[in-house]
Amino acid sequence: MKVVLPWLLLAVTSGAVTPVLTLPAWSKESREVVAEDGWFPGADLLAGSVEDQPDDATEVGPPTTAEMTEQLPSNQIPDEFLDAYFASRPETFLVDPQGLLGPSASRDRLTFLNLHSDDSQIDFHVYVFGTEQEIPGEVRDEEISERLFGEGRPSLTLFYYLGAPDRSEIFLSPGLTNAVSDAERRRMLQSSVLAAIERSDAITQLEAFCVQTSIRIYWIEKSAGLVDDEALAPRVKSEQVMVAEGPSKVAALKQMFNEFWWHWGAIVSVSLAGAVIALAAWWVACCRAKYRFPEFEVAPRLGGAHAAGVGAVIGFGSTTQSPSAQHSGVPDYFGGI
Amino acid sequence: MKCPRCVQVIHRGAAACPHCGFGISATDERYGSEDVVIRRLEDQAGLMRSSEREKVELAMDRFERRFPQMFFAVYTSRTEGRSDVRQFGFWLLNRAAFQDVELDRPNECGILLIIDPDAKSAGITWGYALDAYLTEEDTFLFLSRAHAYWVEGRYSEGVIRGLKQLSKVLTKRCRQAKFDPERFERRVAPPLAARQVAERIRAGHRKTIAEEVRS
Repeated sequence: MKVVLPWLLLAVTSGAVTPVLTLPAWSKESREVVAEDGWFPGADLLAGSVEDQPDDATEVGPPTTAEMTEQLPSNQIPDEFLDAYFASRPETFLVDPQGLLGPSASRDRLTFLNLHSDDSQIDFHVYVFGTEQEIPGEVRDEEISERLFGEGRPSLTLFYYLGAPDRSEIFLSPGLTNAVSDAERRRMLQSSVLAAIERSDAITQLEAFCVQTSIRIYWIEKSAGLVDDEALAPRVKSEQVMVAEGPSKVAALKQMFNEFWWHWGAIVSVSLAGAVIALAAWWVACCRAKYRFPEFEVAPRLGGAHAAGVGAVIGFGSTTQSPSAQHSGVPDYFGGI
Repeated sequence: MKCPRCVQVIHRGAAACPHCGFGISATDERYGSEDVVIRRLEDQAGLMRSSEREKVELAMDRFERRFPQMFFAVYTSRTEGRSDVRQFGFWLLNRAAFQDVELDRPNECGILLIIDPDAKSAGITWGYALDAYLTEEDTFLFLSRAHAYWVEGRYSEGVIRGLKQLSKVLTKRCRQAKFDPERFERRVAPPLAARQVAERIRAGHRKTIAEEVRS
């Protein structure tokens, strides 16, 4: 009650102080002046009589012939880019005439694809399309593979839809189709799609897709017998040795050892031989060394003319006791009698 | 330095043991006062075969080549427990004439190993030239190395192993003696007379005062 009472008093007093607001109204003189000009704004509303409009807007008539022949907006690739895509074998491994990738991303992908081509016997071509773009129906995939990639190095072609990796398609050049089964190709596509969809950004999706596909191409090469480990070894750079796969690592280490031996082998051999000879000489010298002791004057003891040095005496009668335990330090006061 | 009979410590240059009165005459009464001619490997007890004796002699030759002043001798005898290894070794090294040892290696430079298979005991005696370099612990190491072989009756192998151990010890001592001969000389220097001690103390004092004045 104590809380409500001040608010109640405030409301009462404020109501008493606030002036009563009223709607504006035309004065008679003003209305007449405006009416003389022939236009009265808001006349319909203020007059309160709005004429009912006919409700025929909701009725849609049948389409006309012009409407039926009119081209609807399409997702197909614009015609001006079709030649750039499909006219001839691309000169670069990245085909993006629409410039869907930015300059930086395009440069990165192209660098990667070039590196892949250097290390692999199978080229990797990537065609980039928009997310929802459609390849025209007259472009047939088989025809593209045979016409563009029938000659030259074997190639794997990827149609990649930026932002939609699950729409991607992979085609193999005719030389590879016999070596790679459809199931293997599907597995390749699935693994690449899975690698791509883990990323959120369209550019990084493409990057992941390309990396995974490149890895799978390596295994295709091996299964197709296009390359052996020995052939790969010389192409592995020294700084890539530690990140290479197992067989390549061994080959790279062999290569490093050969290079090292070629440059330093003679020096190492001579050094080792010198060390061995020095060691052998030192050992022989130690074996043949003669040790002469300084001679001192020693006073005779106990009447002995030559010797009085008494050393240790041990017993070896027991096989269970140590030499220390059988160390005879007990004097024989009776002289053995 | 110890007495061969009572094994008590005696001072350098003692004509007889101050504890038990032992001297060379006591052993002469038991074993004879005449010199005996023996070889450096005298296997009286017949513990080694001829091939084993050859191996032991080869090891002795190696030892003598390594240490041109010294020689090593082995004597085995069956005393049926009636003799003491220490006293017998002391007597033998003083009375023996080793016929196959060069004349420039006197008995003072000899190391003698006595093995008594009846008493199942073995001991080592050495000449005066080795007083500065050998200790009882060194000879115990020698015998310890040989012990396992002797327990099994492999006497020659034990001697060869022990000889290797002894060579190591003496090699080390020789190197030390080249760097610091005074350290070893002090071990065998004759005891100072009381007058000499006083003179040395006074000389030290004079030296100290002279250094203070100089500074």
